[in-house]
This record gives sequence, C-alpha cells and structure tokens, in this order.
Amino acid sequence: MMELIAQNFAPIMFASLIAFLLLGYPVAFSLAANGLIFFGIGVWLAPFSEGTITLDWPLLFSMSQRLFGVMSNETLLAIPFFTFMGIVLERSGMAEDLLDTIGQLFGPIRGGLAFAVILVGALLAATTGVVAASVIAMGLISLPIMLRYGYDRRIATGVITASGTLAQIIPPSLVLIVLADQMGVSVGDMYRGALYPALILAGIYMGYVAMIAIFRPHLVPALPPDARTLGGGVTSLLVALAGAGAVGFAAHRAFYDAWGTNADVLGGLLGVVAVYIFALADRGFKLGLLSRLASQVIMVLIPPLALVFLVLGTIFIGLATPTEGGAMGAVGAMLMALAKRRLQMPLLRQALTSTLRLSSFVMFVLIGSRVFALTFYGVNGHIWVEHLLIAVPGGVYGFLTVVNIIIFILGFFIDFFEIAFIIIPLIAPVADKLGIDLIWLGVIIGMNLQTSFLTPPFGFALFYLRSVAARVPYLDRITGKNIEGIKDFRNLRGGCSVYLFASGDDCGCDRLSKDCYALSRRDHRPVHGGDHYSLFATFGRDKFGQLADFGRAQDHTLTAPI
Amino acid sequence: MKILLALSRAVDQMSDWIGRHVIWLIFASVLISAGNAISRKVFSASSNAWLEAQWYLFGAAFMLGAAYTLKENEHIRIDIIYGKWSRRTQHWIDLFGHVVFLLPFAALMAWMLYPYMMDAIRSGQISTNASGLIIWPARAILFAGFVLLVLQALSEAIKKIAMLQGLMDDPHPHQSAAETTLIHVEELTGQSAKDTAK
Repeated sequence: MMELIAQNFAPIMFASLIAFLLLGYPVAFSLAANGLIFFGIGVWLAPFSEGTITLDWPLLFSMSQRLFGVMSNETLLAIPFFTFMGIVLERSGMAEDLLDTIGQLFGPIRGGLAFAVILVGALLAATTGVVAASVIAMGLISLPIMLRYGYDRRIATGVITASGTLAQIIPPSLVLIVLADQMGVSVGDMYRGALYPALILAGIYMGYVAMIAIFRPHLVPALPPDARTLGGGVTSLLVALAGAGAVGFAAHRAFYDAWGTNADVLGGLLGVVAVYIFALADRGFKLGLLSRLASQVIMVLIPPLALVFLVLGTIFIGLATPTEGGAMGAVGAMLMALAKRRLQMPLLRQALTSTLRLSSFVMFVLIGSRVFALTFYGVNGHIWVEHLLIAVPGGVYGFLTVVNIIIFILGFFIDFFEIAFIIIPLIAPVADKLGIDLIWLGVIIGMNLQTSFLTPPFGFALFYLRSVAARVPYLDRITGKNIEGIKDFRNLRGGCSVYLFASGDDCGCDRLSKDCYALSRRDHRPVHGGDHYSLFATFGRDKFGQLADFGRAQDHTLTAPI
Repeated sequence: MKILLALSRAVDQMSDWIGRHVIWLIFASVLISAGNAISRKVFSASSNAWLEAQWYLFGAAFMLGAAYTLKENEHIRIDIIYGKWSRRTQHWIDLFGHVVFLLPFAALMAWMLYPYMMDAIRSGQISTNASGLIIWPARAILFAGFVLLVLQALSEAIKKIAMLQGLMDDPHPHQSAAETTLIHVEELTGQSAKDTAK
C-alpha cells in the first residue's frame, strides 16, 4: 500500500492540488500549503518509493534562496510598471478622445465606425494594455453612436469586445511577460513574435467588417452628414500624412547605413514628430493649412503613437529592456495625464494602490507555485507530466492540441496568472523536447488565453460591455442578447484559423499565420442579463465632452431621458 | 474575544498604514527604472546599485503589501464552487484556510528566513554585482513580509470567528467577477452601475 502511494505520489499530489484550489481559498496560499503538506508526507514516504521521491528536510531550506530569486526577478518588474501605466492612461481620457476623433474621420464610409473601433482598440492595446479601459470607453462612446445610426447590434458589440481584448495579445501585454518569464525566453522576443499575429488578428477583424460593408451594407451604415461635427477635409489630412511619410522615408534612407533595420522605427518617429510640429504650428499661427478634422486627428493621434514608440519602439530596437520600457511608458503616461490635467493626487494614489494589490497577489501566486514546484519536482512530477504528454498520439500536433484544449478549458475557470505559473512550467520543457519553438508556443497560448476574456465566467470583456451598455439607453429593447455579437467574430476567427493551421506544417518558420488556430475551438455561452434597456438615445457633441471627463466627472447623466 | 478583537484591530491598522505607504515605493521604482534607462543610453552611465534599487523597492512593496492585500481580500481565488456557498460556509472555508494553509506556511517561511537574514547581517554580505547593494535589507524585507503575513492571518482568523459568532459585520463580502466589474465601472464613470442594470 505504502509503495503504491509512494510510487504514484505525483498524480496524487496533482489531484489534491485541484481539490485544494477548488476549495476557493486564495490560490497563492493553497498552492504553498499543498506543496508543504506533500513535502512532509513525501519525506516520510521516500524510503518506500524506490527512488521516485527525492525529498529531504535540508531541501526545504532552499526555499529562502528561491524566495530571494522571486524578489530579485527583473523581468517581472515589468508587471507593476505596465499595470500602473495602464491605469493612469485608463483615467486620462485618451481613449475617449481617440474614439471620438477617429470615429469622425471614418464615419462617412460604410462600416467606418467599426473600423475606427478596431483601430482605436489596437492602439489602446499597444499603450494601455487594459481590456477594461478599452471596452468601457468603446461601450460608452462608440456603441450608442453605432446603434443610433443603425448598426446591427450584434456586429457593434462584437467589434467592441473583440477589439477590446486585443489588449491581451498586442505587446506590451502582461500575459506575454508572464509567459516569457515562465518559459525562460526573452520578453522582447515574445513581443516580436506576438506583434504580427496580433496585427493580423486586427486585420482579420477589419477584413470582416469590410466584407459586411460590401455585402450587407445595411448592417453597417455610414454616418449621415449632420453627424459629422468636425466637418470634412480629408484631403489636407492625406497631404499631411503623405508629408509625414516622405519625411519618415527620407529619414529611413538617411539612417539606414548607420542603424540597419532600426531605421524603420527611427524614420517613423521622425515623420510622426514632423507632422505633429506642423499641426501645432498650423494651429498656433492660425495658418489654416489643415482642416479642422485633419488638425484634430493629428493632435489626438500623435501622443499615443509617441507613447507606443517610447514603449515598444525602444524595446524593439534594443534601446531598453521591457522592464525599462514599462517604466518609461509609465512616466510617459503620467506626463500625458499631467498635460491633460488629469493627474491629481487621488488618481495617483488610487492607481498605485491598484498596482500594489495586483502585484502583491501575482507575486504571491508565483511564490506559492515555487513552493509547490519544489515538492512536485522532488517527487518527479515533471517526469510524470512529460510521460503523459509525450504519450499523446499525433506527436507535435497531438501535443499542441491537447495542451491548447487543457488551457482553453482552464481558461473558463481561472485566469491567466495561475495558468501561467502552474501549467506553463510543466508544459514548456516537454514542448522544448518535441522541438517546438517556445516563443511560437507562447504566442499560441497567449492567443488562447486571450479568449478567456471573452468567455464566462471570467469573460471580463462581456461583463464590462454589459455593465456600460446597461446604463446607456437605446432605442431598441435589447436584452442580454446583444453580447451574442461576439459569435460573429468567433466564427470568423475559427474558420480562418483552422484554415491557417491546416495549411502550415512547419512549426518554426511562419509562426505568425498559425497562432490563431487555438481560438477556433471555443464555444460561447452568452452572458444572460435580464437587463432592460429603455429608450432615449440622444448623443450629441456635448455628451462626448462630458464623457471624456470619465474618471472625475460625477455629474454626467447618461441614463437621464433627453 | 474582546482582547483578541482589539489585537486584530491593531494588526489591521498596521497593515493598512503599511499598505497606504508602500505604494510610494512602486512610484519610486518606476522613476528610478526610467532614470536608469535614460542615464544608460544618454549618458552611458549605469550603476548596479541603482539597477538593484528597482527590485529592492518593488520587492519591499509587494512583500510588505501582501498583508494589506490579504486584509482587503484581494488575493485571487478560484470561485466557481466557493462563490456558490452561503456566506457562512465561505467563512468556514476561509477560517480553515487561514489556520491550516496560510498560518503554517507563513510561519514556516518566517522561521526559515530569520537565520537567512541574520546570516547576511552578520557577514555584511554584498551583492555579487560590482558595486551592488548590501544584501541583508532585501532578506530582511522577505522576513518582515512573512511576519506581517502571520500577524494578518491571525487577525483574519480572529475576525472570521467573530463573524461566525455574529459579533461583527463582514468588512469584505466576497464578490463574483461580475460584481467586481460593476464596481470597477462605477469607479470609472462615477455612476452606480447596479442601479441601472438591475
């Protein structure tokens, strides 16, 4: 009996971990307690195990050193930095300004508002990286306009939630940082690996909207002329952009010899700065060269683009480590908020407090998982997992399928920090042995985890949209149904990704095309809210102005009949 | 019980005070890290002491803030089953967890970290990086973090017993993810989401 238990110690330990976690006590401490309890039992059982259990008391004292290792981990420093940056931006009103202006720019074409939402979603993802911020801002600002001018509500809500969750996969997302840390690859490489797939995903969304605009134009109508409050004047914007492009290209040519591929980033930066200075001068000296629309677009678009450069640009050209990029982004976000006079003491304190709570629980989940791992490896649990996974039929593809299904199902119940800290360290060595590129695997898993933000009960994107949509009154008596809009996107992504997955068989080479296959196998349960939406939907310019005050305004009355 | 509750209040106040102040360590860490990056690239000057200061500060923030996070009931749970229990059962689970999971773990870590810290203090060990910082403060932070966690776990256990006996109200009722979201939205918009979403 003893021998039987001792020799199957790893499966028993893993099963009991699941029971411990399901109890509902905080994950960090359940993990640690599981590790310690089984450490004690393991030392006692070691003589019966015929060498499968290699635990002894002195080993436990290596925990001090491990704790020190967790604390001095420089990669994970990026977590508080990016969190803080995201919260500051969330409250700075940047999202509102962007949505408003870009919506005006694209509004006149069919499907334009949806394009604007996707573009802004991608841009917000590259700066704030906070799903909540994007979805709330879009739900408050774009959704009422889209519905008001006759957008199909499933498309409207689907576009918003899908674009909002881009924040999970577009660098600098926390998911990618944690995955990179747990897989032992560089965060910079993980960012580089995720960038194109993420952009492709955004591109697919746009392609989908474009198809609808062509084949089902009544679902995504253009804004009527009287809704275009910034007026026309796209020509001057195009001219300005062409100018920026010319400056950027010239700079790129000039820098190319000295900087190599980094000249892309530098050239882009110069072009952007040039057009910004031009717009400032135009506005300052009242030259009237740019239309109101063009000037507004440039003024609103440049600060976030500069922030993207500050964070991602410096990381990609190797000027800064991701941690430093995060710190500079945080400082940049504070400067932006300061310029908009949104950085008051209470906001700063609140942002720091939220950051502290998040960092504290994340780091303690990591500490707990280190205690668990100490025991689990000591009872050869990793070898057990490896045998299990290698025994999966179908080799590499069998492994990928099983791993993604497991992570996908786990994503229903637990969020990605636990998955990353508990599951990834077990999977990564096996994947490495099978010759799977870890960065590619990381991007796939990141895409897979992204969907957990679209899936109940942790479907945060749905919660956020529902909670803002509920407060905004619409003409239609829409019930919880509108959330079903996501289905359109899910089906779309599923279809395309299956195709992409089937068509590529070389794991290493084109990692970008295949990574969304994981998305294909997630069914969707809509959130049922008995929400009742009443009528009155009048949203004018002043309303936007008030909405942009988000975060400090207490007085705007979205729910009041107008 | 009265004495215990007074003790628990004292611990809570301490954790709260610490939680409210260590947030500035994160702020300092952000500024130092940005400063490091800029000075390294612009002035080609970098110092290991400043690089280490980043994680010293962040480490201090999250270690010392753990007790505060526990007090605020912000350590993440898997609540698919937990969320369905009555509040009373949840109290029992929490009490069980505090006593059986958290207290032994935190106490054991504190007990192991004490000699680890004293070692570094006695030897005056310095980081292996050239011109790095002395090591004992970092180890002292780890030790202090777990001591605080032990105290806070005791305080939480006392409060749970008091709640089960009906002696006090629940300061942090469990929120499902949906409720948490609604509160977040409220914070952002300054409106009560629950009122409109009934």
